Amino acid sequence: MSTSGPLPLAGIRVVDLTQVFAGPTCTRILADLGADVIRFESANRLDVTRNLIIADNEGLDHHWHRSSYFTIRNAGKREMVLDLAKEEGCAIFKKLVAGAAVVVESFTPRVMENFGLGYDALKQIKPDIIMCSLSGYGQYGPMRDFGAYGMGLEPASGISSITGYREGPPIRSGLSFTDPYSGFVGAGAILTGLHYRRRTGKGQYIDLSEQEAAIPIVGAALLEYQMNARLKERLGNRSEYAAPQGCYRCAGDDRWAVISCTDDAEFERLAHATGHPEWLDDGRFSTLLARHEHHDELDEAITQWTSQRDHYEVMHTLQQAGVKAAAVLDGKEVLLDPQFRARNHFDIIDQPHLGKRPVQRHLAAKLTRFEPKARSHAPLLGEHNEEVLREIGMSDEEIARLKAEGVIADRPNLPVPPQLIAAALKLPYDRYLERGILQAVEGDYREQLGIADDGARK
Amino acid sequence: MPDRALSDIRVIDVSQGIAGPYATKLLADCGAQVTKVEPPAGDYTRRLGPFPGDIPDPEKSGLYLHLNTSKRSVTLDVAVTSGQVVLKQLLAKADVFVCSEKTSTLAEWRLHYEDLRDSFPDLIVAQVSPFGATGPYAGYDGNSLTAIAMSSIMYNTGEPDREPLTTGGEPGEYIAGVQLWVGILAALENRAVHGAGDHVDVSMAEAVAASDEYNAAMYAFQGAIRRRYYSRHIFGYPNDIVPCAHGHIVMIPGAAGFPSPLAPDTVSPMALLMEDPDLDKTPLFQQMGERMINWREFDDLVRPYLSTHTAGEIVMTAQALRMPFAFVPSAADLLSDEHLAERGFFQRLETAKAGALTFAGPPFRMSETPLQPAPAPERGEANAPVLVEELGYEKGDLTVFSDRGVI
Repeated sequence: MSTSGPLPLAGIRVVDLTQVFAGPTCTRILADLGADVIRFESANRLDVTRNLIIADNEGLDHHWHRSSYFTIRNAGKREMVLDLAKEEGCAIFKKLVAGAAVVVESFTPRVMENFGLGYDALKQIKPDIIMCSLSGYGQYGPMRDFGAYGMGLEPASGISSITGYREGPPIRSGLSFTDPYSGFVGAGAILTGLHYRRRTGKGQYIDLSEQEAAIPIVGAALLEYQMNARLKERLGNRSEYAAPQGCYRCAGDDRWAVISCTDDAEFERLAHATGHPEWLDDGRFSTLLARHEHHDELDEAITQWTSQRDHYEVMHTLQQAGVKAAAVLDGKEVLLDPQFRARNHFDIIDQPHLGKRPVQRHLAAKLTRFEPKARSHAPLLGEHNEEVLREIGMSDEEIARLKAEGVIADRPNLPVPPQLIAAALKLPYDRYLERGILQAVEGDYREQLGIADDGARK
Repeated sequence: MPDRALSDIRVIDVSQGIAGPYATKLLADCGAQVTKVEPPAGDYTRRLGPFPGDIPDPEKSGLYLHLNTSKRSVTLDVAVTSGQVVLKQLLAKADVFVCSEKTSTLAEWRLHYEDLRDSFPDLIVAQVSPFGATGPYAGYDGNSLTAIAMSSIMYNTGEPDREPLTTGGEPGEYIAGVQLWVGILAALENRAVHGAGDHVDVSMAEAVAASDEYNAAMYAFQGAIRRRYYSRHIFGYPNDIVPCAHGHIVMIPGAAGFPSPLAPDTVSPMALLMEDPDLDKTPLFQQMGERMINWREFDDLVRPYLSTHTAGEIVMTAQALRMPFAFVPSAADLLSDEHLAERGFFQRLETAKAGALTFAGPPFRMSETPLQPAPAPERGEANAPVLVEELGYEKGDLTVFSDRGVI
């Protein structure tokens, strides 16, 4: 399907001062499109995601190189560990900006200014620079200095107020999806800026508030309130646009499938596919309005059919009959699903210390002339210090001196021995299993994923 | 007047619904000329509402008005041959063609990428579909719900003893729309550098799966399969929406909220918030694993404070203590929010038939080329300018097209 022709952003350097989730998602897309993304970390304050979801839940004495969370969203980037608080570190940074097209950062506002690296300063160095600041609430306004984590920003955008079981409280999604969403938005904003720069030679500053980026998702709810002074209710899995619509229990342990019928014709196909043509003559179900009214009864009837069948069987049987349906997949099933596999949603990278691992696409678009995929492993701490410094003309002696003076580094400065941190990061999975926080922990997962050959190099 | 970033780009958009139109809205708000080609009955979102007074009117649908700012509308039945002829005349002058049909339908209309690439070698054909243009599920139908279900997000959202829960507001559609938009911009960039059109094929299910935080990663790196547990993060409690006096807040103590062994003599921000330094001595404050397992006891500890303080009191105090607590606003709360107002986020637009309404503003700010949404078009309002002035048809032809139901 895809050929890997030359990539559109080849030759574009992106200076990446982001950490955690939203920013690294944005720059991972730019890297997959061919940009030379150089990320910067501090030895005193690592990207906190280097502590998250450690391979095999076992940090050993170098947990910062075993994080899955960090690995999947930083694949294909280069990295320097540079002390920006030191004058020489800052000078090196500015030299790299001079050769860059884009700077992306995700600090709380004022941090870049405090480093003397605000947009105006960067513009002095590189007049057509495109600088993008990703933050929780934007660069100005009364909440600009609010600390912001992804789990707070989905609610802050209004989405959680309409998420929840019917008549239940608001609830977050099972992951912080406005983080990657604003990363996608950031990538598009930067590509828009690059397009304009190509035509006019002008750079610009992009202020991206994650809260604002996600508010358009509730755009119709904003208008509903203005038009009818009514707040959208929490509908569980139902929809005002379809009936039946829901999540139905299937055969097996905690297996489910979703089904949605937008109109009478689709409901007719559902009735036939499930062997219940009598539903069509039942006054409770014969019109969309009636189905909304008798939704609980209809759900019960549908569950009698689904609960006898595997969730994938429900999906395929109904889809082949022309009814919208999907299996509700867990994290393992996504990796093994035939459609995701056929379209290469996961790229296999060869990660130092961890071996071959699948990482998901961040730009899901499939194109024919190039392939926006993870181009290599995620960088080790400071892996490209010397390579990058040589590219800007530094000698081996200078590089050795910078290392001795702590301007660059390839190990973290930890307040306690790494083994203690690794022990603290180990999650009590046996207790999580008991509690039902985990469904299973499978020792042979590499074999099941077909990535076992190369073993787990420590 | 400030410059527009994409003023050199022309888009022909036959997509309907949310994902495709949101992608082209983002292009249009940045200055691209987007010609929305609607079926004679109009984009189906014109029938979905919300409507003022709940009275259906294709010119007053809130969803349509929200998704189609800055575009012009022509009506054209692209399912019939004469409609396809007109469409191809439009494509000859376009940079991007956007559609939201499955491959089988596009092939029937001879409007699939394969049918177009020889005649229009520089055209970018962007297609968003529920499961993608290829693969074993290419013919399957879907919506936001099916995409969220396939992505593993849904399996991990909700309560452990109830059914998995989707996320409100059709986010699968918006995520796919944003991915389509990024794909189109990448293809435009590639055309500028390497000179050729392309097919941009976005699967709604993959777009949402691209947003996965760690469900697949936990299996790929640990063999662990996560399960929904009140939508909680695997690595800590609390990071969740909790009740307070008259509402809800998001309680996020953050990296430094609880007692730290590195700072044994200080009172933790959480204990300061609750005004009870003794809380720092409890295992529930000292150990994350303990909170995760015995969360009900933790809830009992913090409930007296939460239930006697309002969202504003709690969030402002927590933020002053450097904890990233957050609000849980409704649509009404957002519209009256002081922070968003001071940022000038919302945009008041005078619509043709539904009066002046306040719309969600641009999802990002550009200093040189600010996004400038204009009201959504009435159905077919640009038929005459486009067909007569741009394509050279006679005014009489319009009547013939109209009589035959082509426009």
